[in-house]
Amino acid sequence: MNRRRFLESSVAFAALTSLTGCSKNASASAAKTLTIFTWADYLSDEAKSRFEKEFDCKLVIDTFDSNEAMLAKLEAGATGYDVLVPSSYAVRILGRKELIQPLDHSKIPNLGNIDKDHLAKALDPAMKWSVPYMLAPTCLAYLESKVTEPVSSFRMLDRSELKGRITLLDDMREVIGAALKSLGFPLNSTDPEQLAKAADVAIRWKQNIAKFENEQYKSGIASGEFFLVQGYAGDLLQVSEENPDMRIFIPEEGTSLSCDDLCIPKEAKNVELAHQFINFLNDPEVAAENMEWIGFRAPNSASYPHLTEDFRGSGILFPPAALFAKCEFIDDLGEQLPLWTKEWDRIKNS
Amino acid sequence: MKRSRFPLLATLAVLAFLYLPIAFLVANSFNASRYAANWTGFSTKWYQRLTEREDLTTALGTSLKIATYASLAAMILGTTAAFALHRYRSKFQETHRLLVALPLVLPDILMGMSLLLLFVAAGVDLSLLTVTFAHITFCLSYVALVVSARLDGFDFTVLEAARDLGATPFQTFRKIALPLLAPGILSGGLMAFTLSIDDYVVTYFVKGPGTDTLPTLVYSMIKKSKELPVINALSSIMLLVTFAVVAIAQRLTRRGSAGENL
Repeated sequence: MNRRRFLESSVAFAALTSLTGCSKNASASAAKTLTIFTWADYLSDEAKSRFEKEFDCKLVIDTFDSNEAMLAKLEAGATGYDVLVPSSYAVRILGRKELIQPLDHSKIPNLGNIDKDHLAKALDPAMKWSVPYMLAPTCLAYLESKVTEPVSSFRMLDRSELKGRITLLDDMREVIGAALKSLGFPLNSTDPEQLAKAADVAIRWKQNIAKFENEQYKSGIASGEFFLVQGYAGDLLQVSEENPDMRIFIPEEGTSLSCDDLCIPKEAKNVELAHQFINFLNDPEVAAENMEWIGFRAPNSASYPHLTEDFRGSGILFPPAALFAKCEFIDDLGEQLPLWTKEWDRIKNS
Repeated sequence: MKRSRFPLLATLAVLAFLYLPIAFLVANSFNASRYAANWTGFSTKWYQRLTEREDLTTALGTSLKIATYASLAAMILGTTAAFALHRYRSKFQETHRLLVALPLVLPDILMGMSLLLLFVAAGVDLSLLTVTFAHITFCLSYVALVVSARLDGFDFTVLEAARDLGATPFQTFRKIALPLLAPGILSGGLMAFTLSIDDYVVTYFVKGPGTDTLPTLVYSMIKKSKELPVINALSSIMLLVTFAVVAIAQRLTRRGSAGENL
């Protein structure tokens, strides 16, 4: 065996790889670029290519996998992004830390399209910092064949016949939040007494559930391993396409809403183009196409007539007004966070 | 006398423990359903979607590029470091050794965050370059470690003999030391390659716009994507590649130790 030949061939391999690397780099430098820091698969291919064509620019998408990871990076001083897509509560934190800039409404004429009912509840109702992008409620879903006399309520979580076949999200805000709503308290309550009562409810639920679970519940209910799960509307709607036995509902007591918003970081280089991008996404037709592709709801009233009947008819993404009125957005708890973590620890250790 | 069956059983148990999940993943990449526990028929649609998704192939290209550059640089720097640590004695010998080995035990999050703070403080824009530098930082330690181990059993009299016979220091290095150390350097480099291509935490913190690597993109897809099983297809392909790389690394190390016995 010849060692030198090995060395030579590995050097040749390395040279080859770097060559292909160079050719790719060259093609990437277009005229203008707009960089977006967002979740993966959170913009339809069509919207992306249409924007690139209309505004003669290149969209560069960079992804994060949690609001906290995104916050950590920006707080450390990472720059180079023109548009961010964090959840509403994270927008609050970004605003408080002055990491984003106020929006120039004169550059976003499509702001008039935003759903007024949504804004009435939103954490940034005047859209000073952010424009709502995609919204989804947290829901419950069950298998119809396994549940007798289903009710659209959190009371389902106490059913003894479902014991050991239920999952709740492994998320303090969702579980204690659900317990608070089931008692008729506000979702973002910081009243220690209400929180203690909610934690007692959650502990009672815990006796009845299989586990707290954020990922496996999807395949669990698809395959019939779990009978009742708490999950995000976007995910559950996808699962229900595969399992016709599945029924999704928003509990009548109301539920938590999560919304991701568009905002512009303070250090953005292409502020003009960023505003144009936000305006573009709120064009009725673009918003309609984009939300059907993603499978969430864009709170954009003008786009609703452009949706397919199927999508528009979803009682989950478009709940009746009375039910929607009972839902609330998850807000940043700020200094009150320890009140929640204390109760969450009590639930987890019970 | 009957031979014990225990070694065979233990081997099978370990193999099952290690490879059953992987076999399951590969099988699932051919599942028509989006959800693992729900087999709805054989399908290659995820492989087909994979070829249509530009972002994933770009990310894979980025990952490969970074891993190649990082492992090459780490091979050079790591070998130099190992050589220096082995050949020259100083007052701070142990401290130096510790400093080179430290990134092996340092939590990734600490490394990612501190590198990000460093880049920000230095005013360097986050890009492919910053990710590559970050990867060199931790890859270097692995190469240094592997090469050090080889140097421990290295017969330095060969080098002295070469010098006696009139070779210049460079010739000695090029014709004697390098060929003898090559298997160690290469297996260290290949190890660095696989580590670099797997890394998520450090990469996330130092990546800039448009430099998503495969791991960072995959982590993000878990949250909102409708096409998650594409990742199964991609993982299957990557597994194949990683296995190949590891197999080569092992063959090299084995050949290296066989050479020592001669």
